[in-house]
Amino acid sequence: MLTLRLPHPGSLVAFAILALVAGGFIALATFDGGTPTLFSIGPYLGRVLAFSIIQATLSTILSLALGIGLALALVRRVFPGRSIVLAALSTTMVMPTIVAVFAVFAVYGRSGWLAELLAFFGWETRFSIFGYPGILIAHVFLNAPFVARLSLDGLNQIPAEHWRLATAFGFTPTQVFRHLDWPVLRAELPGISGLIFLMCFKSFAIVLALGGGPSRSTLEVAIYEALKIDLDFGRVAWLALIQLVICLSMTALLHWAFTRPPVGHTIRNLVRRPDAKDRRLRIVDTIVLTVGALFIAPLGFSVLTGLRNILDVLDEDLFQAFVTSMIIAAAAAVIACLLALALASAARRRRLVLRSPRIAAVYDFLPDTLLAIPPFALTAGLFLLLQRFGDPSSAGFILLPLINGLAALPFAYRYVAPHLLNVEERYGRVAASLGVTGWAKLTIMDWPALKRPLAAGLALSMALSFGDFGIIALFGGTELVTLPYLLYERLGAYRLDEASAIGLVIVLVAFLLAHVSGRLSHADD
Amino acid sequence: MLMIENCHLTWPDFVADYSLSVKSGNLCAVIGPSGGGKTTLLHMIAGFETPESGRLTFGGQNLLPLEPAKRPVAMVFQDHNLFPHLSVTQNIGLGLRPSLHMTDDETMLIEETLEAVGLRGFGSRKPGDMSGGQRQRVALARALVSGRPLILLDEPFSSLDPTLRRDMILLVDEMRRRRPVTILMTIHTPEDAADVADQMVFVADGKVIASGSPSSILNSSLAPRIAAAVSNS
Repeated sequence: MLTLRLPHPGSLVAFAILALVAGGFIALATFDGGTPTLFSIGPYLGRVLAFSIIQATLSTILSLALGIGLALALVRRVFPGRSIVLAALSTTMVMPTIVAVFAVFAVYGRSGWLAELLAFFGWETRFSIFGYPGILIAHVFLNAPFVARLSLDGLNQIPAEHWRLATAFGFTPTQVFRHLDWPVLRAELPGISGLIFLMCFKSFAIVLALGGGPSRSTLEVAIYEALKIDLDFGRVAWLALIQLVICLSMTALLHWAFTRPPVGHTIRNLVRRPDAKDRRLRIVDTIVLTVGALFIAPLGFSVLTGLRNILDVLDEDLFQAFVTSMIIAAAAAVIACLLALALASAARRRRLVLRSPRIAAVYDFLPDTLLAIPPFALTAGLFLLLQRFGDPSSAGFILLPLINGLAALPFAYRYVAPHLLNVEERYGRVAASLGVTGWAKLTIMDWPALKRPLAAGLALSMALSFGDFGIIALFGGTELVTLPYLLYERLGAYRLDEASAIGLVIVLVAFLLAHVSGRLSHADD
Repeated sequence: MLMIENCHLTWPDFVADYSLSVKSGNLCAVIGPSGGGKTTLLHMIAGFETPESGRLTFGGQNLLPLEPAKRPVAMVFQDHNLFPHLSVTQNIGLGLRPSLHMTDDETMLIEETLEAVGLRGFGSRKPGDMSGGQRQRVALARALVSGRPLILLDEPFSSLDPTLRRDMILLVDEMRRRRPVTILMTIHTPEDAADVADQMVFVADGKVIASGSPSSILNSSLAPRIAAAVSNS
C-alpha cells in the first residue's frame, strides 16, 4: 500500500524561507521599469563599495583596538563598580542603532556637549559629525563594548591551572600575554572582526543619518535610496545581488571560523593574574579604562538625559508608536522562535536519527545566511509579490514582523538549537526505548529543557525588533509609526529634547527585554 | 625534610589546619575523600594559598615568604598542564626558561628527559596531537627538568585507565630513583601507590588525620574510611 509521508516541519520551513527569498529576488529582477546593466551603475557602485569597505574596515580596526584594550584592562583589574561596567558592556548588543545616532548628535553634534564644553573655554569648534567621524564614532560606540565582552568571555575561560603554572614559572607580563592572553585572543579575533566588519558593512541607520550625503552610502543605504527616492527596482536588484554575494561569502567564512576551542573550567575568583601587580601595566590599564570611559560613558549617559523630557513626549503619538512597536516586536519574536524551533528540530533529526551531519549543517547554516540578505531588497521583492495578490497599503503590517522575524532568526536559533540537541543526546535513546514519540516526546522530554531557552530567544528577538530602524524607514508614515521611526522623525527635525526622551523609552524596553533574556538563558547555569 | 607545622587556612565554608613532615627523597602518597583538603595542601606548599599562621619549611628554608616562582617546587595538575599553542619541547622548556630562549645544553637536557619518559621524537608535536597519558608524561618531564627538588603531583593520573595509571606511577618511582627529589602525590586509588610510596598520609576535613607507611595506613582503623573515600571519588 502506498503511504504518503509528510515532510518534517523543519524541511517545510527551510523550503519556505528559500522560496520567499528567491521569489522576492525574482520579483525584483523581473519588474517592468527599466533594468539597468551592471555596467551602467558601475561608477556609482564602485563609490558605494569603496565607502562601505573603507568605513567598515576603519570601524572594525578602531572597535578591536578599544575593545581588546578594555577587555585586557578589565580582566586584570578589580575596582568598585566593575560588575556594573561588565553588565553595561553586554547591553550594547541590543542598543538600537538609531539611539546610537541620537547619542552621537547629543555629544558630538554642533550644539552637543563637546561643543558646549569647548565654547565654555572660549573655543569655537568647526568639527562636523557628518561623514566618517560620526559614522566611526557610532560604530565604535556600539561595537567596542561588544568586542570587549566577547574577548572577556574568552579570557575568563583560561584554565586556572595555566594561571598557577604562570605564577609558578614566574612569567613576566609579556610572557603572560604571549602564552595565555594572546592564544585566546588569536582564536577569537577572526570571528569577532569578521562579525564586526559584516555589521558595519551592512550598516543602515547610522550611515543614513550620519553619512551626510549620497557620496557616503553603504550598499544597504544605496538600496534604500534606490527604492524610496528613485523607485529603481533594477538598480535595487543589482545592488542587492552584490551585497548578497559579499555578505554570504563573509557569513560562510564566519560560520566556520566562529567556533571556540573547548577549554577547561576555571574558578576565576580563586586565581590571581601574576601580571596584575606590574606597575607599568597598571598605568596602561588606567589610561585605557579612562579613554574607554571618556568615549563610551558620555554617549551612554546622553540617552539618560531623556528622563527630564519624558513628560513632554507622553502623548497619543508616543502611545500609538509604543503599541505598534510592541505588536510588531512580539509578532517578529514569535515568527523567529517558531522558525528556529522547526529548523533546529530538523537539524537534530538529521544529525542524531538519520546520521546525516552534512544536511544537519545546512539547517544550522540557513539562519546565518539571513544575515547576508539585504532586508530592503527582500522587502521590496516581497512587496511586489504581495501587491499582485492583495492590498499593498497593508503590506507594512505583514512585511515588518516577517522581515524582523527573519532578521532575529539567527539569534533565536542559537538559543534553541543547542538545547534541543542536548536533550536528544541525553534522553533520546531512553525515549525511543520507552516508545515515547511525537507529542508525548515534545511535552515530556523537549519542553522542560526548551521552555527557558525559548523564552530567552523570544525576549531577545523582541528586544532586537523593538529597537530596529530598518524596514520601517520604507513603510513608516502617518499610517504606520514605530518608536524608532518617531525618534528618526524628531532627529530629522532637530527636536533633540523629544528625541532623547523617545530614545530613553526605546533603550529601557530593549534593555529590559534583553535582561529578561539573559536571566532566562543563564537560569540553569 | 618538608616540615608543615600548624598551617592554618580559613575560608567561609572550609577550615584547614595541616601538620606534616616528609623526609627528603621520599615519595609520599596523599589520600583522602574528595573535598577533604588534599589539593589545598599541595596549593599551600606551592604558594597558591597562603596560611594565616604556622610554619612551612623545606630543607630548613622557610617557604612562606617566597613567591610561587621562587619556591623549590614544581607542580603537575590533573588537567591543563600544557599550553596548547606550544610544542612539547617548548612546554618542557618553560620549566627551565619562561622566555624559551634555550641554550644547546638545555635543549639536550629536554631531549634526554623526553627519552626518559618514553617520548623520544615527540618534541615538535603539539599537546592536541597526543593522548592523555602522553600529555601527563610531558608535564612530568617538565617538573623533572626544572631541577626543583620538591615535586607536587595533584591527581596527575586519575583521568587515565588503571593500567596506564599504574605505569605512570612506576615511571614516577623510576624518575625519583634517578634524581633525588621529594614527591607529594595526591591519588584516589591508594593501592596503585602502596608498593612504591615510602609514606602515605590520610587527609580529611582539612587535616592530616594519619601519616605513616602505606601498609600501616591501609591496615589501620582508618581502612573503612579510606575505602569509603575511594568508592565515592
